[in-house]
Amino acid sequence: MAEKFSFTINGQSRSVEVEPDTLLIDVIRDVLDLTGTKRGCDNATCGTCTVIVNGRALKSCNTAITKVAGAEILTVEGLAKGMELHPVQKAIAESGAVQCGFCTPGIVMELVAMLDTKPNASEQELSNALNKHLCRCTGYEPIRDGALIAQKVVQDLAAEHA
Amino acid sequence: MEYKYVGKSYIRPDAISKVTGKAMYLDDIRLPGMLHAAILRPTYAHAKILSIDTSEAEKCPGVVKVVTGEGCTFHYGDNIRDLVPMADKKVHYIGEPVAAVVADTPKHAKEALAKIQVTYDPLPVYIDARQAMSEDAVIIHEDMGQYWTLPTLAVVPGTNIANVYKVRKGRAADGFDDAEVVLEGEFNYPFGSCAAIEPHGSIVWFKEDRTIEVWSSSICPFIVRDDLATSYGVPAADVRVHIPDIGGCFGYKSDITVEQTIAWIASFVPGRPVKWVSSREEDFTSTLIGHGIRTQMKIGAKKDGKLVALQVKVLHSTGAYADTGVNVTMAATHNSTGPYEFEHCDLTGYTVYTNTTPVGAFRGYGHQEVHLAIERMIDMLARKLNMDPFALRSKNYLREGSVNALGEHMWKFNGDVATAAAKVQDLVFGHDKPKEDDTYFYGRGFAAVMKSPKGAPFSTKGCYMKMNTDGSININMGGAEVGQGLRTVVRQIAAEALKIAPEKVRVYTELDTQFSPYEWQTIGSMFTMQGGRAIVRAADKMIALLKNTAAQVLKTDPDYLEYDGEFIYLTADPFIRVPVTELARGYITENGITIGDLAQSVSDARLPRYASPDKNGQGPLGVTYTFGAQGAEIRIEKKSGKILVDHFASVFDVGQVINPLQIRGSVLGGVNIGIGAALYEEVIFDEEGRITNPQYFQYHVPTYKEMPRQTIEFLETPDPIGAFGARGIGEHSVLGPAPAILNAIYDATGIEFCEIPVTPDKMKKALEALKEYA
Repeated sequence: MAEKFSFTINGQSRSVEVEPDTLLIDVIRDVLDLTGTKRGCDNATCGTCTVIVNGRALKSCNTAITKVAGAEILTVEGLAKGMELHPVQKAIAESGAVQCGFCTPGIVMELVAMLDTKPNASEQELSNALNKHLCRCTGYEPIRDGALIAQKVVQDLAAEHA
Repeated sequence: MEYKYVGKSYIRPDAISKVTGKAMYLDDIRLPGMLHAAILRPTYAHAKILSIDTSEAEKCPGVVKVVTGEGCTFHYGDNIRDLVPMADKKVHYIGEPVAAVVADTPKHAKEALAKIQVTYDPLPVYIDARQAMSEDAVIIHEDMGQYWTLPTLAVVPGTNIANVYKVRKGRAADGFDDAEVVLEGEFNYPFGSCAAIEPHGSIVWFKEDRTIEVWSSSICPFIVRDDLATSYGVPAADVRVHIPDIGGCFGYKSDITVEQTIAWIASFVPGRPVKWVSSREEDFTSTLIGHGIRTQMKIGAKKDGKLVALQVKVLHSTGAYADTGVNVTMAATHNSTGPYEFEHCDLTGYTVYTNTTPVGAFRGYGHQEVHLAIERMIDMLARKLNMDPFALRSKNYLREGSVNALGEHMWKFNGDVATAAAKVQDLVFGHDKPKEDDTYFYGRGFAAVMKSPKGAPFSTKGCYMKMNTDGSININMGGAEVGQGLRTVVRQIAAEALKIAPEKVRVYTELDTQFSPYEWQTIGSMFTMQGGRAIVRAADKMIALLKNTAAQVLKTDPDYLEYDGEFIYLTADPFIRVPVTELARGYITENGITIGDLAQSVSDARLPRYASPDKNGQGPLGVTYTFGAQGAEIRIEKKSGKILVDHFASVFDVGQVINPLQIRGSVLGGVNIGIGAALYEEVIFDEEGRITNPQYFQYHVPTYKEMPRQTIEFLETPDPIGAFGARGIGEHSVLGPAPAILNAIYDATGIEFCEIPVTPDKMKKALEALKEYA
């Protein structure tokens, strides 16, 4: 039986009527047409389906919709403010971290969650976070470069506002 | 050489759409009235189909149609027409489509699949070419003799051998008479998966007006178009194939893979688009896998290290269909010399049907597989000759004046493997190796490499460009962007050729056979070289056209005119000039009469003098070679057998770097894929032909923490074919990691591995055996 679930996604309140065993990724992609969140595997290994739920990076392909009732969800579509990219998006675009781009949304969301909550995350913490994502194109080095550039920008912005 | 735009890093034109989630991949496409397909796979890898009962599935919620292979009258394929869109009467491998459900949602389609009843009569299963080649083996394709093949192929009817390819140079095997030392070895490069993060998918729509419209995660829209046109008896012009953004390819989205199956399914529900996207498991079991190559090698040399003769037998477990695998066997065979000259070559490649997922390209066509053999053998030969392995190599490198296995003369412009090797030697062996300690063994290994792009008689790349009235340029080509960054390369080469800023060049996004210039397929590390040549030719034509119009305006002859990106001007007096913006749509004269043509041009570039091989396999590939060298510094953890790559160095002679950031990225990623093959990755089939690890958590691709420190350098010996001297580099970085790492393992432990992946388990067992022996 379909049930109603309400949550906030990219700043908008939304309600969907789906079966309770429906996965978050299917609601995001197929009900809400937010196709920026990608499906690369079916068992939370590749990380490209990562979104931010209540401030934490979460793999949407193994999260049931029941788990996010009332939550605040952020997807890759919710990052840029108009034409202005989030610092993580900008850094990842410029560091060479984008090749085919299919792992990119998940990595961007992982880094946003990390740097928003912990702008001074250690290299080990960044490494632990990025180790949850598979990339077949870049050999990871440009992703690390992008992460470090983004971290610097986020720290500088925080210092400006302080 | 110094150029204005070539050789500098620019951000990719598609970077912003990819970081904002707006890039459109196959699964992101939604069409009105779209239906969804799910595909049933067999429970046996080789079996006769006795019956299929679809009646219960047809009653399930949301089901529109249940499809089987019954009644399919055609085979398809571009090299060997051995493929069928869906099994009929027999299944040949575990991932083959047996039946499909078309429903309103993917969920409904999948639920109904479980209700289809199939009965099978199992047949013997062959995983390895050697089993399938045994005299009493059951024949996997009984009709093989009737399949259409390219005229250059040689099927062996009545066996499981789909093709035998021979390269004979000099006195072939008789050349071993001249050898003073002979060394033999056997090496195995097992099945792997390209495992791009985006799984395969297609949408096919048979329309009531008898046209077919297709969207696919393919790099070969024109092959898909032509194949479907042939199979369904419609003009090629009536099949329209779109290629959206592609989330990684590495080889297995080339040729035709899943499109014919989805077309067959969609042909039963005309008027409705049908979408299918593979699960990760199906991406492993039912698209294309890579490798499956066992190389038996015999080298003959003089005592002073001069290589004399090479004999190679490539045994290729090609899978249940050989259409895509046959080219892999062939290129593996002729590239098995590595970057060395042998006066006598006797090279044979066997493309053998097995009951495994069909093999296709995987960052090359068998090139990395045979490099494992030749580069391990050269190290072993050096030990046998008691010679320095670098000196042995250096004595035998293909260089100006030498002749390769195919009879092609090598020139200086083919590149400088000796200098690349010397640089890697310095980067990896130029300092002391750490001494063995309680925890680790330390080792260093080297490999010199060579790769030819993959040619074909009909290989060509088209380019269309137009100049707008503000001087900006639109460029349209048929090259598929899979992540390699060709759109950036197109922009930079066009900017250089047209002498305008890259920001003024807008590069095409999706491919569409209705609009895109023809391209055979975007394979073989050829786009920068061949596509770049097409851009330069189109630019030259457009500049000539602008000059023709300007000649009328300036009342002179075109050959007195120069072009600088902004103006056409008189060579003798540059003040006499006309801006190109006034020429773009023809020149409007004072009284409104317009003269001259639209500033647009079309061009293409094929391979210079590509030739089909003669009976000895001799004949030019018509393209250039890229040479390089790679080296690894590793640590082996004694307790666990785990191998850590601390440093990996690569130097390639690429002719000309177009974009430093992108070319480094390409090599970084390729090395990672090569390390994956050497240490972790294998698609494992059990005896029944089932894949036991068809998931990312079972098939381990290298992760962030496993990346080594990499040093990457390039030599620039300009190439005469490629635009601005550039050569191919896309596939080359995977050639060296496996042999370099296995050579390093020997250096660390004295253990001789001839097979990959060297997993911690295998390493640990070998270390324990070593201890017992000592």
